[in-house]
Amino acid sequence: MLFFSYFKDLVGREVTVELKNDLAIRGTLHSVDQYLNIKLENTRVVDQDKYPHMLSVRNCFIRGSVVRYVQLPPEGVDIELLHDATRREARGG
Amino acid sequence: MLPLSLLKSAQGHPMLVELKNGETYNGHLVNCDTWMNIHLREVICTSKDGDRFWRMPECYIRGNTIKYLRVPDEVIDKVQEETKSRSDRKPPGVGRGRGRGREDGPGGRQPKGIGRGLDDGGAKGMGGGRGRGGSGGKAGGSRGAGRGRG
Amino acid sequence: MLHLFARTQKQKKLVHNLSCRGVSHIDFGSLKMSGGPGLESLVDQTISVITNDGRNIVGVLKGFDQATNIILDESHERVYSTKEGVQQLVLGLYIIRGDNISVVGELDEDLDAHLDLSKLRAHPLKPVIH
Repeated sequence: MLFFSYFKDLVGREVTVELKNDLAIRGTLHSVDQYLNIKLENTRVVDQDKYPHMLSVRNCFIRGSVVRYVQLPPEGVDIELLHDATRREARGG
Repeated sequence: MLPLSLLKSAQGHPMLVELKNGETYNGHLVNCDTWMNIHLREVICTSKDGDRFWRMPECYIRGNTIKYLRVPDEVIDKVQEETKSRSDRKPPGVGRGRGRGREDGPGGRQPKGIGRGLDDGGAKGMGGGRGRGGSGGKAGGSRGAGRGRG
Repeated sequence: MLHLFARTQKQKKLVHNLSCRGVSHIDFGSLKMSGGPGLESLVDQTISVITNDGRNIVGVLKGFDQATNIILDESHERVYSTKEGVQQLVLGLYIIRGDNISVVGELDEDLDAHLDLSKLRAHPLKPVIH
């Protein structure tokens, strides 16, 4: 649940999602669910010349299972908070 | 509308199934379950490259090996009809039910019969379908029978 | 103090979970939106699906379920190549298994109308490797 909560907290921020087919999509995080499926708004593909496949898509749903990386905004990372949440999760709380 | 409801409604219809390994199976759907496992009859299997073919009287495909299913366009209208008649039937004795009884009586009952016929067929499983198939009928025959019953 | 803004049980629980380190920047407005990234909002809309084997299928979303299995009506495949423009193949009514889906995009009809597919050249997308 930690990553689910974490991503929920990032809603509204700009992220880049790199998929397992090498496609990277940038957009505003709209929502996440328990499977870490992600919905982005105002999307654009990072290398549009190489990947024009989503030129007419502005909002998209990305299946959690195909996500390789999520690049986070630096200000969206609170190390202290993450440490603490990780410990609590490890304790089973 | 749920994908598995559409699949269920496609019972008796021809369909094309592509597996994750690229093989395709063309046949008539006999039955399916909630894991998308499917039972086809009168099947032609095509290799990934499309250069080899196999005929088989029936086959059973595990759901999680499926990539996609292509079903005849008209099946989607059938589901809408079935779900409509099902929701009409659900609240018995409520105002809506009365409306059906009075005006759509005969017409409204017809699709209800179809819906139930299919449900029964599905619930009883392949037993019924197989029996009919064995006596020379195709899967389509079982659909016909279902409708007749309704 | 955050509890003042937590309206539902779910939000209260979240606040409780996060309250350890003085978290003070939860935006409940957007949390409400984030009931989950279901595909509800896309039903009966034209969508563009990218599958794990690298295909791009465009059609009208008629239904979906928890596993992201989807029903696509009036669908066609857009085949990309470097040799010629995008070819469109008519597919019809499809059920695509969730396992095989990478991305479901809402197709902006205006943007799409202004695309000249016959001039687009690109390699087909690579398949997903897990």
